[in-house]
Amino acid sequence: MNPEQVSQRQQLDEASSVPVLLYFATAVFWLLVGTLLGVAASLKFDLPNWLGSIPELTFGRIRPAHLNVVVYGWASLAGAGCLAWLTSRLCLAPLQLRGCLVASVVLWNLGLIYGTGSLLLGYSLGVEWLEFPLPAAALIGAAFLLFAASITATFRKRTVEHLYVSLWYVMASIVWFPLLYVTANLPIYSGVTHAAVNWWYGHNALGVWFTPTGLALAYYFIPKVIGRPVYSYYLSLLGFWAFALFYNWNGIHHLVGGPLPTWLQTISIIASVMMGIPVMAVAVNHHLTTVGHFSLLRTSPTLRFTVFGAMSYTAVSVQGSIEALRSMQERVHFTHYTIGHAHLGVYAFLTMILFGAMYYITPRVARWNWPHPRLIKAHFWLSATGILLYVAATCLGGWLQGGAMNDPKTPFVDVVALTRPYLTTRTVSGILLGGGHLIFAYLFVRVLTRSGPRRVEGGEE
Amino acid sequence: MNVPPAVLVLLAVAACGAALALAAFVWAVRNGQLDNSNAGALVIFDDEEPVGTPTDQLFEQRKP
Repeated sequence: MNPEQVSQRQQLDEASSVPVLLYFATAVFWLLVGTLLGVAASLKFDLPNWLGSIPELTFGRIRPAHLNVVVYGWASLAGAGCLAWLTSRLCLAPLQLRGCLVASVVLWNLGLIYGTGSLLLGYSLGVEWLEFPLPAAALIGAAFLLFAASITATFRKRTVEHLYVSLWYVMASIVWFPLLYVTANLPIYSGVTHAAVNWWYGHNALGVWFTPTGLALAYYFIPKVIGRPVYSYYLSLLGFWAFALFYNWNGIHHLVGGPLPTWLQTISIIASVMMGIPVMAVAVNHHLTTVGHFSLLRTSPTLRFTVFGAMSYTAVSVQGSIEALRSMQERVHFTHYTIGHAHLGVYAFLTMILFGAMYYITPRVARWNWPHPRLIKAHFWLSATGILLYVAATCLGGWLQGGAMNDPKTPFVDVVALTRPYLTTRTVSGILLGGGHLIFAYLFVRVLTRSGPRRVEGGEE
Repeated sequence: MNVPPAVLVLLAVAACGAALALAAFVWAVRNGQLDNSNAGALVIFDDEEPVGTPTDQLFEQRKP
């Protein structure tokens, strides 16, 4: 390597190094905590008495703890790290306000410790996705604002004329998510309004934070790894604006059949179906960009994870549009089917793309390569088979469960017995996912401690 | 009609979010961000990593 020939891209990557690696390292920690909580919660369906005498480890506490840890810990921290790096690259400007990002990581983690501790000790607000008590939510909100400040400052220093499609997704999420998070956490709601705010928030956390994160990364990495521009750039921009128009109406479809005005539910169902437009724009575009280059899936870990995630995005969105219909809700509401849908979104789509992005970003900011490419393959196959098994088991089990619960002649205990094999399968798939996560954490620590191969710039891996 | 204050807060926030999106869209059109859009797809490539060159070929070294 010739130090005088350090490219601008390398300089930008190195400037983002400290905050990005801090986000990643803490994200990996929360991924392991979240996996442990998830597997434990799942195991309790097989062994109802296991850990049942310890109040802190009862199902009612570890399940919300699992959700909040994987959502605000793993996915949000990893997403923030990836987006910070991506913004710097797309603006061709070094990451600004890096001190703010370090402070953001600290506050974010303090919020997570406070919030998760509160949930396990029994101090939950009892509103799904918004269980964290106010001080924890305030810490996380402040951390997100610091993150948004750094992204905005970097954006203002941009040296590019054109804003790449990924940048639209990033900027939309840092404007809308803080607005959403702060509004939803205000202690001013009650009754039906509270339920509406709950799911307006719950679905938009996906809509204006996690989905833009996943799509921004997919729109960058698929063309970048293949070395071929997006098939129809025009379609990608159309997709963004259609996404911006429709997604935020979707939340109330979680309350179909509930005590809300019917027009409100109907609007939400219509918007959920209209999501077909941006989803197809993304699906067609990613497919036509990749077509003819599928052989690269064999050689690039990032492409493998990202294409798996992008395909899952299409699957989860089509499933979601259908699931919002009243006739489907009659059967699958309050069943394990919903859990399958949630994991298809947050794991098969978002988490797989985050893995892909982290496999690309980490060696470039740490300037150290991944050891053991074979272990990366093992991680991919454990995660891929684990999540496919998970979604298949919960969706099928939930579908049968819904049918049985709608039959007044079937005793409830028979419905419970019916779901058992599917729930055991879910625990097994959770253990597979956990194995993949342990491999990922091990590889990540090896890069951080620089005990793998040194990265040689220029000579591509 | 009796509208709870919380609903007014929500309406204000929704109007604010929608206004920001509309402002961004008007800016994008006036700024020419939506013109000649296929050129925009090329901004992620440069001389060192040009179109036609795959990156991240981590598993390739395993081949004979």
